[in-house]
Amino acid sequence: MIRTSTWMVVFVALLASVASAQTIQNATLRRAQSAFDNLDYRQALTLGRAALRERLTGYERARAYELLGFTYSGMDSILKSVDAFKQVVLLEPERQLDPNRTSPKALSAFQVALTQVLVVRQLVVDSVTFVGGQGAVPIRYTVTQPARVVTRVLGGASPMRIDSTIATGQVNIRWPARTATGDPLPAGNYTIVVDAAVGQNSFSASQPIRIAHGVVDTVEHLTSLPGYSYLPETEVPPKSWKPMGLALVYTGAALAGTSALSSGDLGKVSLREGAVIGTGIIVAGFVMTLKKPAPQPARGNILYNQLLREQIARRNAEIAQENTRRRQQVALTVAPIRTGVAR
Amino acid sequence: MKRPFIAIAVLLSVSPTVRLSAQHFSVGPQIAFGDYKEVSPDLHYRGGGLALKATFSWKKLSAEGVASKLKYKPEGGAATTDFDASEVDVRVRYLIAGPVSGELGFINRKTDPEFEAQSVGAVVVGARIGYLLGPGVNLSLNGGVLAGSKFSGGGTVSPLGAIQLGLGMSVDALKGRLQLTGDYGFQRFSRETDDGSGPASAPIQQSVGRIGLSIAF
Repeated sequence: MIRTSTWMVVFVALLASVASAQTIQNATLRRAQSAFDNLDYRQALTLGRAALRERLTGYERARAYELLGFTYSGMDSILKSVDAFKQVVLLEPERQLDPNRTSPKALSAFQVALTQVLVVRQLVVDSVTFVGGQGAVPIRYTVTQPARVVTRVLGGASPMRIDSTIATGQVNIRWPARTATGDPLPAGNYTIVVDAAVGQNSFSASQPIRIAHGVVDTVEHLTSLPGYSYLPETEVPPKSWKPMGLALVYTGAALAGTSALSSGDLGKVSLREGAVIGTGIIVAGFVMTLKKPAPQPARGNILYNQLLREQIARRNAEIAQENTRRRQQVALTVAPIRTGVAR
Repeated sequence: MKRPFIAIAVLLSVSPTVRLSAQHFSVGPQIAFGDYKEVSPDLHYRGGGLALKATFSWKKLSAEGVASKLKYKPEGGAATTDFDASEVDVRVRYLIAGPVSGELGFINRKTDPEFEAQSVGAVVVGARIGYLLGPGVNLSLNGGVLAGSKFSGGGTVSPLGAIQLGLGMSVDALKGRLQLTGDYGFQRFSRETDDGSGPASAPIQQSVGRIGLSIAF
């Protein structure tokens, strides 16, 4: 209970502070507003100017200039009214006057003030869901003077330019939310920034957005082809008497060669040395005959495995292409995070 | 006496830090025994000794060198004096096709005392065929001519009169680090001499067998 009451106190305090930021606390300004409400324009002007010389919040300063604008328009001082409204627009670019509750002269002066100040107003990014490559994000804003306007998106790997134009009035853009390679922008938080510039004057407005991706049903890469499996690349040949036979042939050839090539003038040839070595070779051949033969490369199986690997690689390349296409066609949801902040 | 055995044991126990995958080198001692005849069956010698054999192979190229020293003793007949035969046999081979290699090299045999038997020098030109009998067991047969033979006592040999024949085997042990080697070599020189009374046949013939071990790197 104590914890709940503590939170309640904090919540009320926060509400009060927010409310105080959006209400007029300055006594002079309140008196000026009261004088204006009583149609005492001279008193309203005097007190309004006096309030501007005091420490005011941004909201109060905008209200003070707005009060002067209304008062001057009521006194038919249109130029001064326009000047006062220009200050209002600079302080609160999103400020709109209610045409049902505002005099035509004040409305007119406000409109003239808008055309004399460079601001980007009413930057709106609509919430939208579409399939990548088949839709776009509607972005619109109003620029009050003819200016070079560049629209960018920040937050990715590098800033990306969406649009660049010379415009005035309302501008509508359709942004496909794709990178230069055609892939959809990765999910995450981004900021749409609109920069307007003419001569020395410039103005920026921004709108944070969040991009979310739907689930992409990609195909897994293959490590084998169904129904086909790799074959052993070596095989043990069946036991044979070939080693023994070859040992006998080599030894026989050496001894026979020795006998045949020996000189008849030197009598009987000595086969002792050849016989000793030959016996060793025959023993080795006999042992090799009894031993399990060494695995030999199976050329057919090697070629088959190579073909299988190539098929799998080709299929995986197709799957990679298919997955890229599917990722590009992901469902994108773009939503603004909060209202635009102008500077 | 113990020192050589200790040295061999240490050498065998040391694992090569770098295995040469593309090239192979082996070296090792051999016990040699031989039979030597010259001029007639009466000059017949038999003996034994030691040899050192080294082999090297790289891709299709291989080389083999053997240095041996045999002490020959008369084996009956007219021979009465022992002699030592020191021989160097170097050959370079190139794999031509399948198991067949061409080989080129030289032999040089010196005898001591110098005139007890003929010192010989010749160029070896021949071929060799190898076969893998089984895992780690290699067999080879080689033959060729001993061209340009020169003898310390003079004499000539016709172009095909000097020939050599060989048989070889190596068996790997200890995962190929040790090899058991066995080699047989036969040489015949159909030498002719002429002391002014016309050509006389003075053939030379030698059979040598070698058995040993080698360490492979």
